[in-house]
Amino acid sequence: MSPESLSALWLSVRVASVATLLNALVGIPLAFLLARKPFRLRGLVDLVISLPLVLPPTVTGYYLIVLLGRRGWLGAPLYALTGWSVTFTWYAAVVAAAVMALPLLVRTARAAIESVDRDLERAAFTLGHSEWRTAIEVTLPLARNGILAGLVLAFARALGEFGATLMLAGNIPGRTTTVPLAIYTAVQTGESAEALALVAALTAISCAVIFLAGRLGAATT
Amino acid sequence: MSDRLDVAIRAIRGVFTLDVAWTAGDGVSVLFGPSGSGKTLTLQCLAGLMRPEAGRIAVDGRVLFDAARGIHVPPQLRRVGYVFQGYALFPHLSVRANVAFGLRDHARADRDRRTSEAIERLGLRGLEDRHPRELSGGQRQRVALARALAIEPALVLLDEPLSALDLPLRRALRDELQTILADWRVPTVLVTHDFAEAYQLGDRVLVYEEGRVRQSALRGDLLRRPASESVARILGFRNVLRGVIREVTADHVRLEWRGQILEARNSGDTFLGVSAGAPVSFFVRPEDPRLLRKDGPPPNPAHHANILKGRVVREADLGVTRSLLLRLDESGPPAQGDYDLEIEVPQFVYEVLNLDEDQHWEFSIHRGSIHFLPS
Repeated sequence: MSPESLSALWLSVRVASVATLLNALVGIPLAFLLARKPFRLRGLVDLVISLPLVLPPTVTGYYLIVLLGRRGWLGAPLYALTGWSVTFTWYAAVVAAAVMALPLLVRTARAAIESVDRDLERAAFTLGHSEWRTAIEVTLPLARNGILAGLVLAFARALGEFGATLMLAGNIPGRTTTVPLAIYTAVQTGESAEALALVAALTAISCAVIFLAGRLGAATT
Repeated sequence: MSDRLDVAIRAIRGVFTLDVAWTAGDGVSVLFGPSGSGKTLTLQCLAGLMRPEAGRIAVDGRVLFDAARGIHVPPQLRRVGYVFQGYALFPHLSVRANVAFGLRDHARADRDRRTSEAIERLGLRGLEDRHPRELSGGQRQRVALARALAIEPALVLLDEPLSALDLPLRRALRDELQTILADWRVPTVLVTHDFAEAYQLGDRVLVYEEGRVRQSALRGDLLRRPASESVARILGFRNVLRGVIREVTADHVRLEWRGQILEARNSGDTFLGVSAGAPVSFFVRPEDPRLLRKDGPPPNPAHHANILKGRVVREADLGVTRSLLLRLDESGPPAQGDYDLEIEVPQFVYEVLNLDEDQHWEFSIHRGSIHFLPS
């Protein structure tokens, strides 16, 4: 495997891991809120985070540029302040992958949280536990398998992200070229051996993740 | 007996309105009534899991809820032990962790002591490391009780504690529950729709229907004096009937029912309308009417009051007894669907009288067997 391909592989694993971590930090509380707290704008929040599931990835990528690009709603003030822009960096690849993966985690985790018997939470309340402690000690442990499954899906989605990444992060070898982009480039330039090696690597990683998730799930039941 | 529990609440959930006011002293108060009558909602209000729209709840003088003063003590601070329907044991925790769950804020030594005491008193020794799925139904009930009692609650709530169990086990666990409740002596509110359960476990029974308390009575009074026809029906009384008063004297009441004049003892029911022509509800326990032997002497009016004739239209073998549904020979629509009166006879009587061959019978209803119901 060429150094470029190895670098793409390493970048992909890094991007997918960080994106999954971000997802865990944002997505699990979000899933809990959506499942258990009937707040105003719940429908809107649900809609916005679910959009990347149905929109073409390039459209999601376009929105991300509108939001984070050098002239974007958030990107412009950031650039004015620091002279730095997230676009065309590996952070951009992380953001794109995280946004694309988030609905998979939130939906799966939310369903798992909703399926926890509410009487268990009520029992915890009557036994003196605050809502926060009840979530940590009762609801989330019992929804653990569903949350893990959601994280696996999110990781897989992040690993395979192509369209939104291309829009926001570009395809800069060594910097933003993740494995899917590298495969596309390799095929376009006729380097079929490289393409095959990357395809095999990605397939192997995906299989390993599914296997690991199965083991984790089995350990908890 | 002082009132330790004082409840007066109105709670609205969609189209359902709960509007109840009752008090209870020591011991077990049973909320009894059909499903959907607001029993569980009452428990949730007592536990603080639901906030009523109006009213007040106090336990031993401690106000847990008072709409007028804006008081709503959260469930975490109420010290109300709640045994949920289906027990709601934490499936991911051991028996010990379940029992200790409400004691997290206690010092470790105190927590361990209280946990062990609850485990000991509820006979869970040896099961501490098991998980709920590895327990029998009876053991689960005891874990749920231990968990609720370990916090030394001011009040214990039990929501259909036996409904998740098979019938033979239910009977045994009812006895066990009674022993446990007597042992811990915590004021208890128990919800059930099983009258046998309500009667055995309750010191006081509150009859719920459609979000209202139809009657609150010590359990003995409940069977003797149901507060109304609807309470009698909720309690599962059979032969709840309607007649018209014809005459009331100091010791007799004459009423007309199905074209017959029945004579009943006047046991001083102040609610009886004295005016002739007033409608009246009454009930006759199925085991009270006496079938008259055809081979015996003719009925003696001194002993046999209210002699009626009818035929058996249906019967049911109840094991120890037989239930006979009789239709009077009178014309007109029967009082209870296709029959007028249910009579329950012991199995041996059924055999001695050859009831399977002969459907047509005379029977008498003793004057003291006609019980009037307040309207």
